[in-house]
Amino acid sequence: MNAYSLWVMEYAAVPNYPQSGLIYGMHNQGTRKLPYCYVVIKGHGKLAMVDVGYNHKAHGEVLANTYGVRGWRAPKEVLAEIGIQPADISTIFITHAHFDHMGNIEDFPNATFYLQERELSKWVWTMSLERRFRWLMLGIDPADILRAVDLARQGRLVCVHGDRENVLPGIDLHPAFDTHTWGSMYVTVRNDLAANSQSSWVFCGDLAYGYENLRGHDPEDPEYIPVGLATGSQFNLIMTTELMVKSVGGDVHRVIPPHEERLKDLFPSRITKAGLRITELALADGEKSQVV
Amino acid sequence: MVDDATATYIVENKNCFEDLKQVASQLAGLLVLAAAGLKEGTPDHPVLGAARELYREANDALRRSSPTDHARKHHAHLTRAAASIGVALKEAGSGLDIDAILIPLRAGYTELERAADALPGLEKIAYDRACCGGARIQ
Repeated sequence: MNAYSLWVMEYAAVPNYPQSGLIYGMHNQGTRKLPYCYVVIKGHGKLAMVDVGYNHKAHGEVLANTYGVRGWRAPKEVLAEIGIQPADISTIFITHAHFDHMGNIEDFPNATFYLQERELSKWVWTMSLERRFRWLMLGIDPADILRAVDLARQGRLVCVHGDRENVLPGIDLHPAFDTHTWGSMYVTVRNDLAANSQSSWVFCGDLAYGYENLRGHDPEDPEYIPVGLATGSQFNLIMTTELMVKSVGGDVHRVIPPHEERLKDLFPSRITKAGLRITELALADGEKSQVV
Repeated sequence: MVDDATATYIVENKNCFEDLKQVASQLAGLLVLAAAGLKEGTPDHPVLGAARELYREANDALRRSSPTDHARKHHAHLTRAAASIGVALKEAGSGLDIDAILIPLRAGYTELERAADALPGLEKIAYDRACCGGARIQ
């Protein structure tokens, strides 16, 4: 029995992204496709998402022309492929405050956004440092902060302090402080709703970009390898990976890195007319497949 | 393509643009803390002092700069941005009335975006230091 349907929705991609940016230490070892995705969770009469992608109006041209990002489509078009409108989404979990994860806030007018309080407070603290510390500000769009002010005033920004269980039934938030960012978090979906779930999924944001981060280069001799970019520490990333993998009973394929192209090799998927992939991780009881 | 004099202007004034953007971010950050009801969202947060200092430096640099013809539009946007952000900063000094700060701050940030669009080499965020935008096409 599944309580929720789970889809990973691609909304843009970089065809050739250097491996070294994704897997710590993989210098001079070529490129891979880096899809940009968010996750849709549907069940219990609720529609939720993990992250919302970037704002094309603000960043699209630069990202397309300078960094080779291709195929961006708006949430309205991407979600329509599974019969959903952005206005239907009631809950959004922001794994971290980088522009490509929280840039589309204004496209979801009826959603309440959950973000770790530390993600906000430490960014602002960082902003009080002198110019030579500006690397610590990486990936933050001032316009996103301005949009977050509006969210907060409308009572649609919930600042979470650490763990929070059952934000929706069976859906938990877990902090990953001082890892990829100051206040990253990952989302656990216990799809059987059991406290000791046998059907858990982890949506990890950028705590892992690909399977190498979760099991190393040799599946027969697994090891954790951190992502190529951390505001916090590689040690914290590795220890968080251990927590995430343990929470899914050791099955790394239930930890979902949204930038992992090889999800298609493990789960049913289809390509839309716009050339974007929809990957179906689970279907709630009675829900129709969106990919077959 | 820009002429040599404009290229020099961009190099010499890039930090002014970056600093004003940083001041806007600092103010917005303080506002979001206040609007979210977090305990750090108060006028004695160190980010406000940092914003004042940075604003003073950026404003001084802006006054000293002399734009080329090609850079005049950018310079006009930057000047208007500085004026609006200055109003927001002044308002923040008399308490965190979010509306009173947010309106000029938003106007100032819009001017910064226009300034960025008016000349090459000025980015609204540092994509090359962002995880998913880090692969610059050669």
